[in-house]
Amino acid sequence: MTVLWEGFLQGLQGVWTVARVVIPLMIILEIAQGNGLLQKLNRLLARPFRAIGLGEEGAFPVVVAMVFGLTFGSGVILNHVREGKVSPEETKVIGTFMALAHALIEDTIIFMSLGAPLLLLILPRVMVAYLMAYLVNRRNQHLSLPEGHHIQGIN
Amino acid sequence: MLEVSREMLAKGTRAGLKTTWELAKVVVPTAMLVAVFKASGLLGSITDFFAPYMGLFGLSGEAAVVLFSGYLVNLYAAAGSIMALSLAPKEIAILAVMLTFAHSLLVELPISRKAGSPLGYVLIVRMGCSLGAGLLLGVILS
Repeated sequence: MTVLWEGFLQGLQGVWTVARVVIPLMIILEIAQGNGLLQKLNRLLARPFRAIGLGEEGAFPVVVAMVFGLTFGSGVILNHVREGKVSPEETKVIGTFMALAHALIEDTIIFMSLGAPLLLLILPRVMVAYLMAYLVNRRNQHLSLPEGHHIQGIN
Repeated sequence: MLEVSREMLAKGTRAGLKTTWELAKVVVPTAMLVAVFKASGLLGSITDFFAPYMGLFGLSGEAAVVLFSGYLVNLYAAAGSIMALSLAPKEIAILAVMLTFAHSLLVELPISRKAGSPLGYVLIVRMGCSLGAGLLLGVILS
């Protein structure tokens, strides 16, 4: 019984550690969203995203996923695919990036509150996600090139 | 310049409390479970079994519990395990980086698939990056 109680208290302590950061954070996030900062961030990131084959429409689900999480990013991408705003090639790039780097704020805070260093939590993740997405995009172009020749040949 | 309305504050607070509740539902049971593991000696067996592999990442055997709860359940469960164990700051940092790449796989892999990425592909990429980062950090930080 004492063991369970001890675990219970440890758990509560953990909840408190994270809660006192998460609650203010969610308020800040809400204010940021209400002021259209998400769109501004998207425009700011337009150039690096173009280098991995994503247009502004394609970059948006990635930005949403990075800020709010995988589920939200996936929701946006499903919608974008339905409306034909992203190509199948873009979907692959987005899926790769999103799977590796999402919910950057929430995930980072969980481990930061346990004492892990901020930069170590964000930088490797974003850099590796970017690199993998870059490779996927290059492979996409590589694959689509012979196909293009083929079509030209027919014409 | 920034517009702050009462509605935003209310909505943000509600979202924060909801996250805290979700967190409590996972962290508290996990911490209790790990405490029982520890007291029953089961943690010792798990630790002994995984110790040689965990060494590759610069981690002690106990850390396997954190990795499993993070990979399979979610980061809050991993946080609960970290709280219940006594790990060095270096180990917490390594675990954190490994788990940022791959976590909540049972929930997130199907989400990725729904968004158009094949399950096996996402699993390999995420686990590959996670284990790769662990190996690298194990070398760098030791």
